[in-house]
Amino acid sequence: MDKLIRKSWWKYIGVLLLVYVFVAGMLIPLKPNVPIVNYQSANLGKSLELELVGYNTQFTQQADDTRSWLCFPDSLKPHIAASEIEIIDDRIAKLRFELPASMPTDASFVNLSLIVDGAFDGVYIRPDAVRLENKEEQSSSNANWDYGKITGLNETSRMTFPARRIIEETIRNTYFHVALWLAMVILFAAAVVYAIRYLRFQKRAENGEMLPEINGLDVRQRADLWSMALTEAGLLLGVLGLITGFLWAKYTWGSYWSGDIKQYTTMIALLIYSAYFILRVSFSEPEQRGRISAAYNIFAFVLLIPLIYILPRLSGNSLHPGNAGNPAFGSQDLDGTMRMVFYPAVLGWTLLACWMASLRFRISHMETQIEQNWENDQLQQPSQPKSEIIS
Amino acid sequence: MLKNLFTTCLLFIAHLMYAQGTSDVPQDFMRSIGKIYVVVGVILLIFLGLVFYLWRLDRRLTKLEDQNH
Repeated sequence: MDKLIRKSWWKYIGVLLLVYVFVAGMLIPLKPNVPIVNYQSANLGKSLELELVGYNTQFTQQADDTRSWLCFPDSLKPHIAASEIEIIDDRIAKLRFELPASMPTDASFVNLSLIVDGAFDGVYIRPDAVRLENKEEQSSSNANWDYGKITGLNETSRMTFPARRIIEETIRNTYFHVALWLAMVILFAAAVVYAIRYLRFQKRAENGEMLPEINGLDVRQRADLWSMALTEAGLLLGVLGLITGFLWAKYTWGSYWSGDIKQYTTMIALLIYSAYFILRVSFSEPEQRGRISAAYNIFAFVLLIPLIYILPRLSGNSLHPGNAGNPAFGSQDLDGTMRMVFYPAVLGWTLLACWMASLRFRISHMETQIEQNWENDQLQQPSQPKSEIIS
Repeated sequence: MLKNLFTTCLLFIAHLMYAQGTSDVPQDFMRSIGKIYVVVGVILLIFLGLVFYLWRLDRRLTKLEDQNH
């Protein structure tokens, strides 16, 4: 660490990783999908015309081989294929379905899912596209429900991020919000390592042994400063994570603060860490300050893990993904393309935060040194008044 | 009683609004283009946070320089 602090290569790596994250994270498009279907409810035995408005779709690229089905939810069976597909432009298409005259279930209505498949855009599914009322009517329709399996579906060859309703483009916040939290945990963990290091030299310091020194500060003083600097950078990431979370929550959950368990526990964890800095300024004696703040840092980290990872999962009721029993990074939430950006994002933010922490460390190091020199001067010339040394 | 009646009325209105459909059509600036401006906002907040930290380091260094002279 002491040699690395003056080296530049890891700072370059951090910045390059983040540049990659910003470019790839913003430029890779969302998977083509159909957010808007103009029709809401349909009746049995009728001909149904749907107008689709696609997002990132290129219908004209697959004008000849577009296929579409209306399916029952969950098992996608039974289903009925579109009888006619008219491509207007890249984003707009018109579909015609001849609905069967009878309903295979007793339910009063069924929300049918729409599947659109093509060689260029791949397959996409829009749940709750059409509400089909179960009202038997006289009709000449001879169409029947198909109980077979839909085969030959395409996968888009383009690099895309998953398209989710409500989340939409904000899935990119994974690299700017989620990655910040992981980087924060890494920094807090490093701070704990230094806090333990401080306490491990406790006994030797009490016995009056000479501790190894670098640049005029002994190993305990340095561990204390590292612990503080890493915690400060970690807290900055945490606060940024919370604030960005507010904004993201506003446009996905509906309000900045929903009183969600995850929001409360992370807020508590950050308040516990803020108290660390209040603790530090309230002790003027360095030995006492170092010992108590090292112990408090370990205590805060031990609380952090249950607060942000375990309690929200136990609660069984949270808006935040990755809670209430489901893993945060299931294959549904983070696909292969996202992983290629997400892991570099975590590493990039961690390195950037370490850079900031190292600057903070160097400043505190100089402050402590100046203070020490001043005290030594005081010991040598006790008669000299304080103000003259400062000026 | 009045409260309950009011709530019921509101629920009914919400139901009517849903029946008119296209409830997920973007309405405002932040929700346009697949809510991409939320991502822009998040990046802007992070940038401001980093600038804030830089500013604090700047203050600290200034103090250090003043002490050293």
